[in-house]
Amino acid sequence: MKLRLFAILLASIGLLLGTSVPARAHHSFGVEYDVNKPVTLTGVITKIEWTNPHSFVFIDIKDASGKVTNWRFEGYPPTVLYRTGWKRDVTMKAGDEITVYGWQSRVGGPWGHARQITFADGKKLYFGPGPGTGDGGASLPVAVPPSN
Amino acid sequence: MKKNFVIAFAAAALVALVVFSATAPAQTASPPKAGKDVPRAADGHPDMTGVWQGGSNRIGTWEDTNDGEGPLGQSGPITPFAVTTPQPKPPYQEWAAKKVLESYKMRGIDEPMVRCLPPGVPRTTLMGLFPMQIVQTPKTIVMLFEVFHLFRIIPIDAKHPDDLEPSYMGDSVGHWEGDTLVVDVTGFNDKTWLSGVGTFHSEKLHVVEKFTRVDLNTIAYEDTVEDPDVLTGPWTRHGTIMLRPGTRIREYECVENNQDMKEYEEMMKNPSVFQRK
Repeated sequence: MKLRLFAILLASIGLLLGTSVPARAHHSFGVEYDVNKPVTLTGVITKIEWTNPHSFVFIDIKDASGKVTNWRFEGYPPTVLYRTGWKRDVTMKAGDEITVYGWQSRVGGPWGHARQITFADGKKLYFGPGPGTGDGGASLPVAVPPSN
Repeated sequence: MKKNFVIAFAAAALVALVVFSATAPAQTASPPKAGKDVPRAADGHPDMTGVWQGGSNRIGTWEDTNDGEGPLGQSGPITPFAVTTPQPKPPYQEWAAKKVLESYKMRGIDEPMVRCLPPGVPRTTLMGLFPMQIVQTPKTIVMLFEVFHLFRIIPIDAKHPDDLEPSYMGDSVGHWEGDTLVVDVTGFNDKTWLSGVGTFHSEKLHVVEKFTRVDLNTIAYEDTVEDPDVLTGPWTRHGTIMLRPGTRIREYECVENNQDMKEYEEMMKNPSVFQRK
């Protein structure tokens, strides 16, 4: 519940700031991801794509019945990851267990946008921007709305 | 759940007030002047050479100022030149406003940057997150942008060429008015957005930007956009561009592994999943 509250808080800030929020990402958060679907998942890394315009981390998630699903999480490009404290092939590697906090895709399924990753030793790093980036928030982007 | 939303919204209102107060640029009737701590070039003009970040009002290194919570994700002290008033929205003609709102309704799925296209001017100038580098000489000022490896070459006291072809970043020429670099930009194509979601324009777009390094850390920025085909009149905004000591421009080449185009094509098969109601 706390995470849900946090997600609403972030979304509300975006809503209130409206179009004053400068572009910070290569694409809209809101088309692909749902701020009302926050997820926190712990699993083992199967693959890392340290690529542009976005990096991806793939993790195997095991549910209560033992069934394993491979999730894909999108994040910052490498230039931004370098500056936020990441080192390629050092900070995290395939086989490491991590916890990802982010938001699931609107269409459901094992696919999401990562905000923060927590490592086995408890260290945390941002892997992607917060929600509300790029889709204009809830504030109309024009001064003159249509007459109808 | 409802209670949680109310608490979160109230907290967000407070945060947004603080952040927004810091986001909008100081607006004065007289043109801004460079402070005493602003370095001067050999020709006497304020020297803007260095690495900067648009869309920010925070003083400090990139690392110190881009690690915060929330959509802006920014932290650190705020420049005294931060804008304190809400910025106006572009005054679109009624037919054009409808087109912008269609894009807004679709949450910007038609975002040109998703296709790795240059964001144009003035959008690139105030692009958050990614740094830019200014190289200043008496005759030419060059702006190098990390985002998509873009650049602008701004000759001083020059005229626009007669043979301009429509382009994403347009053609820039500059001149100095006191401590302010004024850049006139024309020769655009109609494939970029001005600022927020769907803010399209025509090839008649004309932009005038003003850069004033008002203190060691801050460039006060103003842009005025005109486009007789889609706007009812000029649209002027203010912002700040912040010095990022110790940062170097790295490589951000967009097309390497662009999964979003594929995802967006899938999403378009059922727009009701993501459309605003």
